[in-house]
Amino acid sequence: MRIIVCVKQICQVYARSGMDPRSWFVAPEDKVYRVNPFDEAALQLAAKVKGALARTEIRLLTLGPLIAEAELRRGVAMAGADELIQLVSQTAPDPWAKSLILARAVKMIGADLVLCGKEALDTRHGQVGAFLARHLEVPFVSSIKNLEISPDGATAKVERSARKGVGEIWESPVPAVFSVDIGRDALPYPSNEAKKRAEALPLRIRSFSDEPVPLTTHLGIEPPRPRPIKIPAPDSSLPAFERVGQLFLGSRIEKKGLILSGTPESQVEGIVSFLRDHSLLK
Amino acid sequence: MFTAFDPLLIATALLIMVVGTRRRWSFWRKGRSENRPGDWKGLSGYLLFQKKILKGGWGGIAHMVLFWGVLIPLVVIVLAQFAFVMRPGPAHALAFILDLAGAAAMAGVLFFLVRRAARSFKTSGVSSEMPWPAALLFLILLSGFIAQGTRLNLVPAPFWTAPVGWLFSRVSPSSPLALQLAIRLHFFAVLGLFALLPFTSLRHVPAGALNVYYRRKGPRGVLRPVSFEKGPLGAKSTADLTWKQLLEAEACVSCGRCEQNCPAFLSGKKLSPRNLMGKIFKQLEAPESSLAGEAVSLEEIWSCTTCMACVAHCPLYIEPMDKVVDMRRYEILGKGAAPVEARPMLRDLELFGDVNGKGISRRTDWALNLGVPILSATSEQPQVLLWIGCSGAFHPKYRETARNMVKILKRAGVSFAILGGEEGCCGDPARRLGEESLFLDLARKNILRWQRHCFKKIVALCPHCFNTLKNEYPVVAEKMGTEARTEIEVVHASEFLLNIIEGKQITLKYPVKGQAAIHDPCYLGRANGIYAPLRKIVKAIPGLSLRELERSGEKGFCCGGGGGGMWLHETKGVHINGLRAAEIAGSGVGLVSTACPYCLTMLEDGLNALELERPIKVEDIIDIVSGSLG
Repeated sequence: MRIIVCVKQICQVYARSGMDPRSWFVAPEDKVYRVNPFDEAALQLAAKVKGALARTEIRLLTLGPLIAEAELRRGVAMAGADELIQLVSQTAPDPWAKSLILARAVKMIGADLVLCGKEALDTRHGQVGAFLARHLEVPFVSSIKNLEISPDGATAKVERSARKGVGEIWESPVPAVFSVDIGRDALPYPSNEAKKRAEALPLRIRSFSDEPVPLTTHLGIEPPRPRPIKIPAPDSSLPAFERVGQLFLGSRIEKKGLILSGTPESQVEGIVSFLRDHSLLK
Repeated sequence: MFTAFDPLLIATALLIMVVGTRRRWSFWRKGRSENRPGDWKGLSGYLLFQKKILKGGWGGIAHMVLFWGVLIPLVVIVLAQFAFVMRPGPAHALAFILDLAGAAAMAGVLFFLVRRAARSFKTSGVSSEMPWPAALLFLILLSGFIAQGTRLNLVPAPFWTAPVGWLFSRVSPSSPLALQLAIRLHFFAVLGLFALLPFTSLRHVPAGALNVYYRRKGPRGVLRPVSFEKGPLGAKSTADLTWKQLLEAEACVSCGRCEQNCPAFLSGKKLSPRNLMGKIFKQLEAPESSLAGEAVSLEEIWSCTTCMACVAHCPLYIEPMDKVVDMRRYEILGKGAAPVEARPMLRDLELFGDVNGKGISRRTDWALNLGVPILSATSEQPQVLLWIGCSGAFHPKYRETARNMVKILKRAGVSFAILGGEEGCCGDPARRLGEESLFLDLARKNILRWQRHCFKKIVALCPHCFNTLKNEYPVVAEKMGTEARTEIEVVHASEFLLNIIEGKQITLKYPVKGQAAIHDPCYLGRANGIYAPLRKIVKAIPGLSLRELERSGEKGFCCGGGGGGMWLHETKGVHINGLRAAEIAGSGVGLVSTACPYCLTMLEDGLNALELERPIKVEDIIDIVSGSLG
């Protein structure tokens, strides 16, 4: 059985600690380049199938530039993948065009099962899996959490969570496309040997001469409203305009203030010395 | 006295001993290579005074008297075989010394036999080997005294030359035949003892001495590096251990001092350092069979808190802890079988560089609005670099401690700075869990970042960071090449605080009423031998009196948070922090002072779980000083 796992490398913005509104307050160190966690869950399920079913091979498919190659190779090690394929596209495609590129690659490689994350953490479209199933004309189940392939490799039994606490079990013929949600099991931890093997795995680069035409056009990004990590009361000595400005500037509001700690006596002394220093007490 | 047959007997016994010893030694000599300098001076001091053994109470004293009580007569009697004439004066004195030594050895051996019998009524704490050596020694001493008594009956001598022998002469026969029989029995038993040496726990005499000769120099908290180039990673079987580690298994006498102090064992986990060494010893002869996961269960491997109590208490300088870490390395690096609970933390370390997964952008949030200088390429060299650590940066309670430290440093007029976002996890949790490659990754990153800045001294808040930066980074830096800076001085916050208190840079003015107990963090105390600063600071605080816990100092009990224990679940037995909390609650103090974020969290949890009427506060020494700051 050949399983193709579509993996997206994302740039996760975990904080907005910058001071520049033009970059939406994102400083360079606020980003982490990693593999989409839902795709890691898909890798986990693929590894599980590989462990249960003999003669299973896993191929990793990634679209776009290698922004997180180390993490990608860690994913290879985690799943015990046999091949790593990068698809290169010149344009910045929409989910439709992305799924077309992926579908071409999947058809070219040939697969019994295609797994992908239910959505990417950075764009949150959640469409590529469904579109891919449509292009390949195979069944599709979304947000699965567990996967079992019958011993003859003809059908797949999948579990997905429908709503709070309710699980659904579906059966689907194989080949099929499943999109994967993060399940209960902990992700496998790659051993040192697996990591070494993954680092040595050659990267196959594929590109297609004719780029598919996107159906939709991406116009721009609406930046998030700056959210300060901690909002102390704005400095009341400033005019209202500047106070509002401070709040909008977001993450770091410098405010002069003193929080006293220690024994009650030392706190009292702190208050008294503060009042003295500001000549409020003589 | 000698018959023609005797030299043959002696030769046979010695031959059996030598061949047996050679066979046993061939097992441990097959271990992986390791460079260990020997130390004659240390060994002779150890044998002479037996300070380390004497720490074990009555057992230590019994060992001391048995050691000298066997060694002195052995030397004298062997010399006496070369008959030389001695004047009656010195001869009598010598007889007196021999008599006393024999009596001392008798007392020692009786102690061990009685203790052994008493212990065997309990289910645990007893070695599986039969106490043949002690029984044989008893026979030797008894037959010796009977021979002496018989001889005194035949050839009277002054009473004072052999008081114990005189006592025996009351019950001994007075026939030359009986004398000959007793001497023969004595002689055969001695030969038997020599022949049995390699086959019983007596093998600790040569192996233990050798182990002491090659013992570790320097702080205990340094782990052996993993060689990624050759051989399997970690220890799957005894074949993957170094010769020193195998020699330790050979030297172990199963005295059980490690077990009596092991937090995992005392809290009802399966792990016992003593049994662990026994299992390694059993597998010495079969190095192919699997150790990690089979002979030593996963529960044993993962319930160690790397507190080093076993290392500190072993009278023979055996270190069971590093075998546990080596097996962990095999589990994680070799098999990828990291414990499920710890995986998210390890992943956070990989992605974000801290144990909380908050990321470097949030690393300075604790210092918001405090005006804490962050070291940059252009700033002046500060007196000290404050190493906050992941706990100081992210743990809600320990953040307060970090702020208090800043307050104290400002008050003391010390110029300091923090690394801010350029500080990453030191790698201690990863390393103690066996994830050596992640540790190396984190350590190298930190060392490279240090090179960009100009500072000479680091003050670390957390003992785990302190131990790693001080003892383990130089080893990593050395391997990285000449560019790495190794001359940086690392001190722990408590040492630094004591310095500025003693230098009168701050005044402690406001009294803190009550009694404080001190919980010694393992990585400050046992790993680096720093016990005094905490005590001196507590005594320096007005109004506060010190009360030592029952288990403190080198005997200090682990909080359960070290060695990745902070992230692992304790599924068997009771919680380690619960045990320590109960001990603290029983001592009647109102305040516990510690100096480690893990201890702080674990003890607070443990004490809260007790639901005491009068809650006991747990505070870092920094918080206490800052509260009393004038």
